[in-house]
Amino acid sequence: MDLVTPPPDLYGRPRDDRFMRWLTAFGDRYSPALGSPGLRRSPRRAAPAPVPPLRLVVTGRRAVAEDVAALDLAEPSGGPLPAWQPGARLLLTLPSGRQRHYSLCGDPADRHRYRIAVRRIADGGGGSVELHDEVAVGALLTAARPRNGFAFCAEPAVLLLAGGIGITPLLPMARQARSLGLDWRLVHTGRTAAALPFTAELRALDPGRVEIRTDDRDGVPDAAELLARAPRGAAVYCCGPAPMLAAVQRAFDASPARALHFERFGAAPVTGGHPFTVRLGADGPELAVPADRSALDVARDFRPDLPYSCRQGFCGICRVRVLDGTPEHRDRRLTPAERAGGALLPCVSRAAEGETLVLDL
Amino acid sequence: MPGTTQPPRVHDSLVLEPRDVQFDWSSLPLHWIPDEPFATHTINVLHLLLPEGERWFVRVFSDALPMITDEQLREEVLGFIGQEAIHAEAHQEVLDHLLGQGLDPRPYLRQIGWLFHRVLGDKPGLTGRRRRENIIERVAFVAAIEHFTAFLGNWALNSPGLDRAQADPTMLDLLRWHGAEEVEHRSVAYDLLVHLDPGYLRRMRGMLVSGPLLVHLWVRGVRFLLAADPELRGRIRPTWREAQVQARRGLLPDPRAMARSAARYFKPGYHPTQEGSSSQALGYLATSPAARAAATH
Repeated sequence: MDLVTPPPDLYGRPRDDRFMRWLTAFGDRYSPALGSPGLRRSPRRAAPAPVPPLRLVVTGRRAVAEDVAALDLAEPSGGPLPAWQPGARLLLTLPSGRQRHYSLCGDPADRHRYRIAVRRIADGGGGSVELHDEVAVGALLTAARPRNGFAFCAEPAVLLLAGGIGITPLLPMARQARSLGLDWRLVHTGRTAAALPFTAELRALDPGRVEIRTDDRDGVPDAAELLARAPRGAAVYCCGPAPMLAAVQRAFDASPARALHFERFGAAPVTGGHPFTVRLGADGPELAVPADRSALDVARDFRPDLPYSCRQGFCGICRVRVLDGTPEHRDRRLTPAERAGGALLPCVSRAAEGETLVLDL
Repeated sequence: MPGTTQPPRVHDSLVLEPRDVQFDWSSLPLHWIPDEPFATHTINVLHLLLPEGERWFVRVFSDALPMITDEQLREEVLGFIGQEAIHAEAHQEVLDHLLGQGLDPRPYLRQIGWLFHRVLGDKPGLTGRRRRENIIERVAFVAAIEHFTAFLGNWALNSPGLDRAQADPTMLDLLRWHGAEEVEHRSVAYDLLVHLDPGYLRRMRGMLVSGPLLVHLWVRGVRFLLAADPELRGRIRPTWREAQVQARRGLLPDPRAMARSAARYFKPGYHPTQEGSSSQALGYLATSPAARAAATH
């Protein structure tokens, strides 16, 4: 873009645009004046401080289904915890340093206790096994404040669809739907009755509105059939295994429901990646990118302030220029011309095994 | 619904993520509110201002990232800039379509490019504290502009007049998807400003500079589009009275309501969550054809 020649008049008159000329002159005085007294952050103010992480103590745990444990968490001094709303999740840091998200499944009105429920997955990433086997009552954990990526909007008619442990965010929604007097129903699906947590608690809310559906008794559920339970124009909240969510999304347009809410989880795991190397700047450090991590994540270990956003290759925020090396583009944002010009989205794009990409960072 | 409880406040600590939406403009008519060129072009000014404006938001916030010391705020800012980047692209496609219909927006775009790159861009030669102060000042501009985008987004979500006038459904979805995300993330820029500088003077300056500038750019944009429209050939001239008439019919936001909303930004206890409803915004996003299609990629 030409940043030297001021833009011409809007209507083709043969002169500079007066308003633009005035704005430019104003900007050229305004910018350098910032920092002088009255035009700066008051030097008497303390530097911006981060909100410290929550410290939580495990105050209770019980088995609520086969391989599912519910944990109660509280402030060590017994004080109030930050408020949350149905659908919120907690990012827990386990004693090993692993970080895991868990939906809050207790009562938002109880300001002194969080409850989470964890299914033990023996061949998972180890977080659930650690919580099951090593975190006992009295253990101290840290957590970020609850955040909500699955907010409940209290539409007049709602259908809550839970698959297995996916019941956790939906249980507080059902409770809220009941207290607001909404037209709600909930379907909880799973392999067997013994594998489903919170059945008694759900039934106690309203046995007429809660349906427990197990594969061993009723067969594997069909998404269209589940959605058929929605009142016309209803909002559906779905939480469960990825295939269940995908099936509900596919069947949604043919259903009587109108709105579909689900929790989005950002980056998908890397598939079909090979290890390669990135260098940050021509003379910068060389970092190894393992087959299962993105170049962005590896670069952020070294440069935590790098901008990024979607981590799925569509928003373009993390765009960098490749100075050397042949990338393997996996984004759906850049045009062929941009790629030819050296643009790369390191959140998804990679390189062949053993290749070194030099990034302009 | 008289007698029922209020819907819950769901704006607390929302997780923000961009949605990968796509729109097909191939069948968009030039006057996408049928027989309403004035209202069409008044809203079309958004397509002129937003692509460059929102890319500038992204640059400002990317520059501010190293100054953020709170992890949750950083995550919100990262979600915000991804959403803004997608908004910019979505509106850019409408501009390309306008050109194909014989309305050449480039003279105006040239000025907007100059504004956001040269006038409001990073000034070469500023270092250290002065550069930092410039970044915070721009964050204050963005926070004030985001007050307007939340106001406009809230209007778009509550604009049955556009449905009654049979406005193009794809354009309505663009406006309401965008509006809903503006309402969804309406606190981020303000929270970032307060994090970097809680001073009242800075907040005031943000609004006093960017408010009048935005209004003036808008008026210029309407005048330009009406003059550049190949079917109108300058037959219609914009007036505030006409804007007021169209606002009463529900085709445009009410300029006086917008001015009153801007005035609320000066209240000491102001917070963006006082305007608009997250429940309504998220409720729309769960029904939006574009946002729903984005979810199944």
